[in-house]
Amino acid sequence: MTMVVRLIALLTLGYLVLPLVVVIGGSLTDTRFLAFPPQGVTLEWYNVILRDPTYINSFMISALLAAAATLVAILAAVPAAIAISRYDFKGKAMLSALLLSPLVLPHIVLGAALLQYGASIGLIQNFPALLVGHTVIVTPFVLRTLLPQFSRDQVSLEEASRDLGASAWSTFFLVTLPQIRSGLISGAIFAFITSFINVELSIFNTTAELNTIPVQLFNYVQYSVDPSIAAVSSITILAAVAAIILIDWLIGLNFLSDQ
Amino acid sequence: MSQSRTTILWLLAFPVCLLTAFFVMPLSVVLISSFTSGEGQFTFGQYGRILLDSYHWDVILVTFRLAVLSTLICVLLGYPLAWYLVRIVKWRSWRRACVILLILPLFTSNIVRSFGWMILLGRTGLVNEFLVSFGFVDRPLRFLGTETGILIGLVYILLPFMVLTIGNALAKVDPALEQASRDLGAGSARTFFSITFPLTAHGVLAGGIIVFSMAISAYVTPALLSGGKVTVLAMLAFQQYSTVFDFNYGGALSITLLVFTIALIGIASWLAKPRTPELEGK
Repeated sequence: MTMVVRLIALLTLGYLVLPLVVVIGGSLTDTRFLAFPPQGVTLEWYNVILRDPTYINSFMISALLAAAATLVAILAAVPAAIAISRYDFKGKAMLSALLLSPLVLPHIVLGAALLQYGASIGLIQNFPALLVGHTVIVTPFVLRTLLPQFSRDQVSLEEASRDLGASAWSTFFLVTLPQIRSGLISGAIFAFITSFINVELSIFNTTAELNTIPVQLFNYVQYSVDPSIAAVSSITILAAVAAIILIDWLIGLNFLSDQ
Repeated sequence: MSQSRTTILWLLAFPVCLLTAFFVMPLSVVLISSFTSGEGQFTFGQYGRILLDSYHWDVILVTFRLAVLSTLICVLLGYPLAWYLVRIVKWRSWRRACVILLILPLFTSNIVRSFGWMILLGRTGLVNEFLVSFGFVDRPLRFLGTETGILIGLVYILLPFMVLTIGNALAKVDPALEQASRDLGAGSARTFFSITFPLTAHGVLAGGIIVFSMAISAYVTPALLSGGKVTVLAMLAFQQYSTVFDFNYGGALSITLLVFTIALIGIASWLAKPRTPELEGK
């Protein structure tokens, strides 16, 4: 019985890894068409991509957008998390439900909604239009990882700090922030990734000049498939591996452990 | 008291304004326009169009069929994998590697993952090459542009969510309960079906509903793997905004999608609450 479970599990793991291996393998092919297993090994396609200004441009926009959305999300989520975990007030449950609800909303619906609403206030097909959408969907990621970081024992430390004459701001930066740091960092990484790989929201507000990497890939892949696309995709896969190793190193990935 | 009220107001001002302006307001606009006719009158007609048109019933049917099948397959593949990771793997480094492999797809774009399947499932792709050379089929099968192709892609995208949800439920089951069942003479199958599975059923249901709701609203994967030959609900809604420019009708489709999703997530979070406190309070 255990053998059967082991077999299914290993085959399923293979199924999860196969497409990523194929994309990375395909990016190394020597041929002009996409071949897997690759025929010959070359890094030429990476060279092609890195010389293409439209890719570099989209990559910069994606990175800037993800960084800006993460930053604004932190500025919104940290005070919200403090209010929710440190104070009692009417409508608290409803408020946290509202702040977390973008997590379950289909992105394509929010994208369409922001397009229609943005059209009426001139917030359309520009960087701020992309930014507000991305901020809305990534804020709950930061909030969700922050909330468990606020514990009851911190309150007495904060009170001690205030009693010893520190201002509210110094108390926040010197006492509270160091204790929520790991949650803040992992929330920020999740937020950055979520923004960086988003298609459904961005696709409504991108143009030929203002394009993100995933939307550019999406538009390209629908018409043709060649090794340069595999090279761009591989770069994003390697970036994802780096991000996971970073999270593992910072906070430790202890999903599914016994404890 | 009043000082803490001022503090709360300051703390909440920015997050609440942000969400109101760019989340609540846009969705309200969509909700209102879904009840508006082309001439600006109040109407239920947009929803009537969805219900009365047989083409849309076909699209809804395809969307639901894909969502049901991907959920079932995710449970069938996800449970053994979760079991393997939680119960069978003893070597911590290997488990950690498996968890990284499991969440790596979640950190890569749907595009990249679907693109991998576009390469694999093509006429001369690895899957067909394998099937033909081992004699499973005579000539290459067509996957791209079929529901089977979309299904393979959807299961792939959604499986990690299922494994994580089931795995978390499984990790909370005390192996001593299973041991007791075995000691009392139950076989491994009986132990599984009368002890372990019931204790993880809420995890399976919650994972199933998360997967189902994500499958219903999926856009990128069906769009890429269908090659335009199969249409699902999210693609229909997107068309209304991007090519037809019928915001009222698009709004009705979006709200339909949203209602399905919210209802399912609501049920999932209700089910995910642990039902058996006397067994959990060990």
